[in-house]
Amino acid sequence: MVMPESALKNEYILEVQHVAKSFGKLNVLKDVSFGIRQGEIVGIVGENGAGKSTLLKILVGLLSPTDGEVVTIKGKMGYCPQELLTFETLTVRENFCYFAAAYGLNEWQETKDDLLDRFRFRQYEDMLVSKLSSGTKQKLNLAIALLHLPDVLILDEPYSGFDWETYLHFWDFTGELKLKKKSILIISHLVYDQSKFDTLFELKSGVLKCV
Amino acid sequence: MTVKELLRSRITLILLFLIPTLFYALVALTTTDRTIAFRLASISEETFVDVSERSESLIFIGLAAVGLLTSFLALNLVQKHSETTRRLVLCGYQPAELIVSKLLVLVCIVVLIGCYVGAMLPLFFDPKHFIFVIVGFALGGFVYGCYGLLVGSIFKRELEGILFIVLLANIDAGWLQNPIFYAEAHNKAIIRHLPAYFPSQTSIISAFTDYDIGTSIIGSFVYGSLLLVAALVIYWWRMRIR
Repeated sequence: MVMPESALKNEYILEVQHVAKSFGKLNVLKDVSFGIRQGEIVGIVGENGAGKSTLLKILVGLLSPTDGEVVTIKGKMGYCPQELLTFETLTVRENFCYFAAAYGLNEWQETKDDLLDRFRFRQYEDMLVSKLSSGTKQKLNLAIALLHLPDVLILDEPYSGFDWETYLHFWDFTGELKLKKKSILIISHLVYDQSKFDTLFELKSGVLKCV
Repeated sequence: MTVKELLRSRITLILLFLIPTLFYALVALTTTDRTIAFRLASISEETFVDVSERSESLIFIGLAAVGLLTSFLALNLVQKHSETTRRLVLCGYQPAELIVSKLLVLVCIVVLIGCYVGAMLPLFFDPKHFIFVIVGFALGGFVYGCYGLLVGSIFKRELEGILFIVLLANIDAGWLQNPIFYAEAHNKAIIRHLPAYFPSQTSIISAFTDYDIGTSIIGSFVYGSLLLVAALVIYWWRMRIR
């Protein structure tokens, strides 16, 4: 995709311009505009039902906006959905294998091993996903989004179900990604520590405002 | 991965083999060897075929079993993990790649089920052209498998898909194609438009006569292929990234 002038000028690697989304008569998003720069950690918070996940789905292409547009730069995007979207009847290793094939990765074992160690679920590598705890499933859900070493991470409630230590590991990891100039967008209905974000927005009544 | 998932469901595997056996047992116990005469719908001559009620019923119950099993399996292959499959598409898989892989698994299972269901028939009677009866069953599995893929691509919810499959498979293979239940089964006007028409003609002609089944075989492939193309298009549309 060709980088437009606005993105070049503002150095945004992902930009959303006046995005609106309606489902029938329900206007979920009215006028959402924001951008993410390289190496930035951006947070979007809001109440349940505010439209945060809808916004994310528009960003990654799962939904089309009713109005407005999403401008993206060439670069790999990693998406971690709010729902646990993994194959429950396969093992952790098999899920990595399946998604590695989707990403077109030839060498991914090392990254997989690193993620298993980082989020501390290596001991479950050969276990069926259906037998894992919800927190461990979420670790896999997140790890899949990181397997191809993306440039932009779109994370919807990424630490939902994490124990405290894993939560801290997650933020250590995002800090490392930031140093590598990776950009991260985190959607959450809770924000434990606002200082971790470079920019924080609140989605309310279909509009995004800087906090 | 699709095969791995399927092989891990032991109850499904057991039922795939148990259901046709039970269907056959039921028919064998509730029918007689009285001779019935009927005209074959796809034969243009004024030809009546005299066969035993039990033998004729076994052919159609076998077809109904194959059709139900393969269409349910196809429905499950498409609908199960549909959101996760969409995530795979988002990560780079093409929708066509995914549905073709499911189709390949389905074809293997169709052949397996068709052979298994057909192989049990000689326990009850001696079909004239045994191999082609099995071909008819496999074709029935192919057509109904493609129907299941189509239904799974159209309907998001499992219950609606199941009801659609049960509705058609029962009425079609189990009732309307069978001359015992549908007295006008030789009248092609209605039944020739239904999925089980060509496969059932392949099996019934092969089982009891020496007539040519080429048209029925080709018709089965064409019918199944049309359903498959429709399924591919709708599946691609639903899974595409905007």
